[in-house]
Amino acid sequence: MVSRSRVYVVIPAYNEGSIISRVVAEVKRAGYAVVVVDDGSSDATAEEARTADAVVISHPFNLGQGAALQTGIAYALAQPAEVIVTFDADGQHRVSDISHLAEALLQERADFALGSRFLGQAPNLPPLRWALLRAATVFTRLTTGLQVTDTHNGLRAMTRRGAAAIRLRQNRMAHASEWLSQIAASGLRYVEQPVTVEYTAYSIARGQTVGDAVLILLDLFARRLYR
Amino acid sequence: MIAQFILSTLLAGILMYAWSEYARSPAIAVLAVFVAMAGLYFVWAPEHSTQLAELVGIGRGVDLILYIWVCLSLIVVLNLHLKLRMQMELITALARKIALADAQPTRAQMEQDGPASDFLLSGP
Repeated sequence: MVSRSRVYVVIPAYNEGSIISRVVAEVKRAGYAVVVVDDGSSDATAEEARTADAVVISHPFNLGQGAALQTGIAYALAQPAEVIVTFDADGQHRVSDISHLAEALLQERADFALGSRFLGQAPNLPPLRWALLRAATVFTRLTTGLQVTDTHNGLRAMTRRGAAAIRLRQNRMAHASEWLSQIAASGLRYVEQPVTVEYTAYSIARGQTVGDAVLILLDLFARRLYR
Repeated sequence: MIAQFILSTLLAGILMYAWSEYARSPAIAVLAVFVAMAGLYFVWAPEHSTQLAELVGIGRGVDLILYIWVCLSLIVVLNLHLKLRMQMELITALARKIALADAQPTRAQMEQDGPASDFLLSGP
């Protein structure tokens, strides 16, 4: 069993000042180390996270969620982290799922444990969002060959070895597909674990739309054109 | 005749630019030389561009050159876009280094490391 203080929960946050201290406090109360990557927020996200006693790393300007996750992972790897968890700042993930993911890593001898709301639960998931997520999953399955059920879930856990194999270069939202293609390329073992994703008015407002999906596809396509 | 001299001067400028660019990106330089040479040729023999256009099913020589020009500019835009993305990756790496160097520790970490740095700050 991994000590909870060696489980580093990375929370990328962009203008989440109204909710971040609550999310951080909840994760800290469970005993985990919390790293908030403030992605150039213009509100008090960094101050709020610091008040809640998280390690705060601030990007000098907004770079995107993928970049923020990579920064948080780089920080955790420089610390004695044994398990690194990515967790959304908008309060839609459950803290109790973190230990399930960490357990799954140990029990299944995997390097990645990916949260799946479609194996678990997603109360109040709007129908349009459901359709978008299913389409994204089909797309990612086709392009990466991984048979996963929920490709765009921000809740994942990985070992140090897993984290070291990840190098996100999609700064913006296209990083979700990049995770899976890099997991596939690393050849490391991954498991899916049912988690609950709670949709609140706040998290729905902060989520992705069909228009974003088109931009993500363009990002993924452009990335293939060089190097 | 005046237009032909002006165009020739501009195209000769492109040739010189391509020459200076060869060391940095040979592919771009060769392409630029090819385009400039073709341009020079058609400036002085416009009727050949019309013949070529008719051969490929386009009415006038100017139209053919216009279409080719549009395609070339799109390629240039794409190339610039990719260069910008690569620069963004460099900027991201730089910003990440700065952010990590300035990481704000938790209170517990500060208590651990705190006295040493306080001592240094308050020393004589």
